[in-house]
Parts: sequence; structure tokens; C-alpha cells
Amino acid sequence: MSLAEAAQLASRGHPPRLRRLLAIGGASERLLYGSVGLVGLTVIWEVTSGLGLYRRSLLSSPSLIWSAAVTDFGSGTIWPHIAVSLNEFAIGSLVAFAVGIPLGFAIGLFRRLDYFASVLLAGLYATPNVALIPLIVLVAGIGLESKVIVVFLSTFFSIVVSTVSGVHSVARRHIEITRSFGGSQWLAFRSVVLPSTIPFILSGIRIGAGRALVGVVSAEFLSANVGLGFYISLYGQFLDTSRVMLGIVLFGLFGIVIGELVRVVERRFEAWRPEIH
Amino acid sequence: MSADTALSARGVRMEYRDRNTNQPLLAIEDVDLDLAEGEFVALLGPSGCGKSTFLKIVNGLLKATAGEIRLRKGRKGREDAMVFQDAALFPWYSVLDNVAYGLVCAGVPRREARRRALPLIELVGLTGFAEKYPYQLSGGMQQRANLARALAVDAEILLMDEPFASLDAQTREDMQAELLRIWTAAKKTVLFVTHQIDEAVYLSDRVIVMAARPGRVIADIAIELPRPRELDVKLTPEFVRYEQRIWELIARQRPTTATAAGTQTRT
Repeated sequence: MSLAEAAQLASRGHPPRLRRLLAIGGASERLLYGSVGLVGLTVIWEVTSGLGLYRRSLLSSPSLIWSAAVTDFGSGTIWPHIAVSLNEFAIGSLVAFAVGIPLGFAIGLFRRLDYFASVLLAGLYATPNVALIPLIVLVAGIGLESKVIVVFLSTFFSIVVSTVSGVHSVARRHIEITRSFGGSQWLAFRSVVLPSTIPFILSGIRIGAGRALVGVVSAEFLSANVGLGFYISLYGQFLDTSRVMLGIVLFGLFGIVIGELVRVVERRFEAWRPEIH
Repeated sequence: MSADTALSARGVRMEYRDRNTNQPLLAIEDVDLDLAEGEFVALLGPSGCGKSTFLKIVNGLLKATAGEIRLRKGRKGREDAMVFQDAALFPWYSVLDNVAYGLVCAGVPRREARRRALPLIELVGLTGFAEKYPYQLSGGMQQRANLARALAVDAEILLMDEPFASLDAQTREDMQAELLRIWTAAKKTVLFVTHQIDEAVYLSDRVIVMAARPGRVIADIAIELPRPRELDVKLTPEFVRYEQRIWELIARQRPTTATAAGTQTRT
């Protein structure tokens, strides 16, 4: 066997057992690789904090966060904070989707409405919503209403902007096919515009949900007496970094859950797309 | 318009206004055309001669500036059905739903449309691919589905807009032979737009040759090759003579010196 042949043979891949271990295939593979990152980070954090490389009181450690979680979930004191934040998030973002998606379609479909709205949208989309919070609190108080407004504003523009670009991405020739066969405008909307736009709407929802979480925390930081953002800022003042970290971890978990939910919906709608990898 | 005329066009004229210069442009200058029922006619010409524009006018996608198009009334379905160039399937629909789409456009309920689409999928040789998505099909198979969609509405006349232009040479020839087989089985009138001389001669009863700037008809040539035609008819002297004749007609339209004719400044 020549050297080249040997090299080629070696590059064929890993021995079968290793290959099987690395690629179990499908959903379980994603779960495996996804958790390796999470578990790895946790282990490194725990070990380095145990080694005394930095002050535990500043960065806490996974075990300290865990015991804080056990205490606060055990006593039940954390539940109201979670419930309030989730509620603000859910109401604000659902209203934003319910209003934003139809508005996005309208702007995308009607040229004059587009001219009218696009400048306004571009400006409002870029404005940091945090800047508006003091004003919103003055108008709507420090209760649920002001948080819902902040979440709504954080989500609304990204969903409108994504829906509009989805409608604009519709291929002219696809519309031409409906027209060519004498299909109605309503059929063109259902069978062409809607399916072309759904991927854009979903990525709008993904981005919007992320921004909504930012909105929840920011609003609760600035003015609240309950909620996870309030929880984080309260214990920050007490230098209780484990509880601060617990709040952050919980937000991270929300993020993961929302991301997975959107993924499920995406898969449902995108059977017709070739897999990229 | 006599009883066996499928399509009659009189003085069809198309003017555009150039978007940049705002100058009027004459895309098609007074085209007259008659197609007999069951006839296969090719509309042949260089790009920019208005042949696709003419097809879209017949289909109703574009409105002519002047002139008249008369189509034989559809006995069962629409008067006409279009077979588009490429990427003309909806990627989010299965092959079956794509083929059924023309019927859905005509108001046929989805289930019924799918049921009626199924035999067409078999006719174009896509048996077993009904539930596949377009990305899972080769270019040739996608054009088979495209053709099946037009056949499904059972129109009097098929309008085909360079349907094989983006296929490789081999697949294109296979599809040409397939089209003749399907045409014989489906008994349709066909108006077939192409810029390929051999394709036009091989498929057609008549080749209408067009020239550009402005788009106009310069010849109407009857192709008297016996049918059914196999692909090897392309090697016969008769076939080659037709090709040469048409080639010369088109070549004569070419400006001899590009700069003198000002084609360089045109885009």
C-alpha cells in the first residue's frame, strides 16, 4: 500500500464505534451536543471557583446558585416574581404579534401604506426602548400596564419589519402563476404570499421574543416591586450574587424554551425546505 | 374566425415606456398570427424580439397597446394554460399540489383538484413523485410537473414559454421527445416560444420567425417532416435544410457592424 493510499484510507473517517458515538443522528445528537456545551461551562465554572481564582462573592458558583434555587423555590418566594415576569412577557408579546403581523402584511401589500409607514418604522425600530421607560412609567405607572407596553414596543417593530420584508421577498413570478391560471387575489395571498412570508415571521418572532425579555428586565430594573428583573436588582443591592445569577439563569432558560418552541413551529412549516446540514 | 381556428391575433402591438429614459419603446409591432386547432406552432427569435411578451399577452398577463386576440372558447376548462420557463413550481407545495394548482385557481375544491391531477402526473411520467417537493426533483422532472399543471386545466391551447431553456442539452432533447409524445396523447394546440432553431423545427408544424427591435414576424415556415418524429430526424438532410434556412433568416437581421448600428449603446 502506497503512502497516498494509506492517507486516503485514514481520511475515510473515524472507526465505526467512534463514529457511532459522535453521530447518533437526529434529535438525540442535537440534544447531546447542546448539553455538552452547557454542562462543560457549568463544570469549568464550579472547578475554577473552587480553586479560588476569583472571589466567589462576586461571581458565585453553580453549587451556590443551586442552593439559592433550592431555598427560594422551596419557600416559594420566587414564584410570584417568575409569574409576574412571564405574564408581562406573554401579554406584551402576544398583543405585539396579533397587531404586528397583520399590519406587516398590510404595509407589505399596499405601496402607499408602505411609503407612509416605512420611515416611521425605521426610526422607531432603531430607538432604544429603554429610553422610553421613564416616560411610560410616568404615564402608565409601575404596575403590569407599563411593563406590557414596554414589552409590546420591544417586540412590535421587529415583527412588523420582518413581516414586511417577508412580503417584499415574494417572487413576482409566483404571483404571476396564480394570475396566469385566473386565481383570485385572495388565493394568491393564501397560496403564495403567506407561505413565502412565514419563515420571515418566525424569525421576527424569534428576534422579537428576545427583545421582549430585554424589555421585561429593563422595565423591572427601573421601576417595579415584583418580577424577576426586580428580584435580580434587589439582590444585587444586597450583594447576593447567587440570587442575581439565579435570576439570570432563569431568563436564560426562558430564552431556550422560547427558541425551541419557535423551532418546533418552523419545522412544522418548512418540510419543503432542503436540510442545509 | 373559422371553426377550427384555436387562436387568432390581429395587429398586436406593444409599447413600453423605458423606465430610465422615459422614451417610448416598441416591443412588438403589429403581429398577426393564426393557429389551427391541434396545431403545434413555434415562435422563434432572438432575445428581445418580444416572443415571450406576445405569449403573455395571449395569456392575459400583459395587456397589448393595440390589437386583438381571439381564443377559441374552452369547451371543458380555460381557453389557455401557460407552461412557464423555470422555477415555476411553488417550493412549499408537493408535486401533486403544484399540478392541482391550476384547477384550484379555477375554483375546483382542493380534494377534487388533487384527484383530477393524479392522471396527469402519470401522463408526464412522474408516477411515484406526487408527494415529493420540487427541491427533490431534477430540472427535467420539475418541467414535467410544470407541464402537467397546464395540462390539468384541460385548456384548448397550451402556451409554452421556453420551458426547456434551463435544462442541459441531453435532458432538453429527452423532454422534446416526451413533449411530442404527450402532445399526441393530449391533442392540444400548442404555441411554443423558443430561441433554439433545432427545437422549433423538431417540434413544430409551423415555425414563426421573429426579429427584434421592433419585434415583428419575418417568416412563417411550414415544417413538412413526417410524424411521429424520433430524435434522429434531426440528422436528416431535410431537417438540416430547415435549420439552415431559418438560421440565414435570423443572421440576415444581425447588424453587420455593431458600432455602426449603435447596438453597443443599447442595453
